[in-house]
Amino acid sequence: MDLEIAPGEIVALVGPSGAGKTSLLRLMAGSLMADAGTASFGGQDLAHLAPSALRAVRSRIGFVHQDHSLVPIFRAHQNVIAGALGQRGFWSAARSMVRPTSADLDRAHRLLERVGIPEKLCLRTDSLSGGQQQRVAIARALFQAPHALLADEPVASVDPTRARAVLSLMKEIAEERGLTLVASLHDIQLARELFPRLVGLRGGRLIFDSPTAQVNDAALEALYRIDSPAPHADG
Amino acid sequence: MDRHPPKPPPRGLILLGIGILGLLAAFLLGLRPGGLIPNAGGLQLARSFFSAALDPALTREGASLAANTTPFLEDLVHAALRTLIFAAAAMSLSILAGLPLGILASDTWWRRSSFSNSRMTAAARAMQSAVRIGIALMRSVHELIWAVILLAAVGLNTFGAVLAIAVPYSGTLAKVFSEMLDEAPRHSAKALEGIGVRPLGVFLFGLVPRALPDLVAYTAYRFECAVRSAAVLGFFGYPTLGYHLTLSFGDGHFRETWTTIYLLLALILCLEWWSTAVRRRLVS
Repeated sequence: MDLEIAPGEIVALVGPSGAGKTSLLRLMAGSLMADAGTASFGGQDLAHLAPSALRAVRSRIGFVHQDHSLVPIFRAHQNVIAGALGQRGFWSAARSMVRPTSADLDRAHRLLERVGIPEKLCLRTDSLSGGQQQRVAIARALFQAPHALLADEPVASVDPTRARAVLSLMKEIAEERGLTLVASLHDIQLARELFPRLVGLRGGRLIFDSPTAQVNDAALEALYRIDSPAPHADG
Repeated sequence: MDRHPPKPPPRGLILLGIGILGLLAAFLLGLRPGGLIPNAGGLQLARSFFSAALDPALTREGASLAANTTPFLEDLVHAALRTLIFAAAAMSLSILAGLPLGILASDTWWRRSSFSNSRMTAAARAMQSAVRIGIALMRSVHELIWAVILLAAVGLNTFGAVLAIAVPYSGTLAKVFSEMLDEAPRHSAKALEGIGVRPLGVFLFGLVPRALPDLVAYTAYRFECAVRSAAVLGFFGYPTLGYHLTLSFGDGHFRETWTTIYLLLALILCLEWWSTAVRRRLVS
């Protein structure tokens, strides 16, 4: 597989479950190292970085997970400010969790405002709805002042109408800040509607990589086709 | 084609085995239900003890009283407060010792490099084992035995009584804390690790907060146990509720005994109400 994503590009990874979307995202984020081949970010080969250099790169890659990645008993602002923990020394990090500076709080508040829930700043995260929690997760990623935003099924556990809103918000923010955005999505309709470039994966292989307008139904059918059904399957 | 559906594993034999072992144990212990039937004197004692339950004493029983003794209820309330303070002191020490020991006994701490189940180095495993053996030693001796040992060593010393509770309780807290830390959801920790947070930060801000509701709830429950233990230490002469319990029972002042029991019950119920409130707040 050979995949290159330019800075500021907005890309959706699509394909059936088990296609390797999550693995590909983790390769990009530097949390998974390739057995063969290389993954590089901003021209740096991630596999050959010293641990501290790798941490520095990762601290600038925002990652929005499917769910559960926030700490439920933290206030929303604590989860948002946690985005900067990778960029701070231990004591400064501990302080920002226990007694955040007003500068941090202001920034967290502005980011929550940007994602549409400024009034939730001091509420406990587990008191928020699934969609609101995903907005907190986006704000946490933005608090990293990231170069790129990666998202693994960011709306899989959000109801469909809110899913569209959360996803288009991510896209909007990426565009206004010039961030690279790569999101894996199982909802092909949302992907086609919102993302200008689609990368189709299946069985760990690249099936197609093209502007959305050029992805036709035949290509999608090939991507999701169920072949060789089990001979003894019921029904 | 010759395909059998998979058979469920046999459970009947296991249940039968457990039943046989139970009967064997009863036989070896010489358990005879007939031994539970009291003789006439015992029946008389039991009757007067349980009939006192409906009529707990509000003042001291018995006539020969010095005029300057404190009123009975005031005495008991003081004993109840002291029981609570003994338990609180013991729990404070137990948390201070149990939390770091629990962290050091957990797999997650020594596996810090990655939260995916990376292997532990031999040195890490050795240190973890040392901590776990220490914890096992602390809690394998019951608080009453610690009390006997410390009583012999330092006499009727308040700090000795607190230590008698704190030592085994630290061990128990450490063991349960370590298991809770290892079983806490890892998602938040992984997310922090993914954005370049150092291992200590990942542990403290990603993992510990996920385990915290359980840690607090269990600590509250142990506090309740500590109150009971502190009460029982009164049997050795420490001025807690147990002291009044043995004294009144020994004197045959069963109505006083029942007042003490009701007070202990009230104390435990208050604590339970409080720990439920704490837990509800944390888990929500």
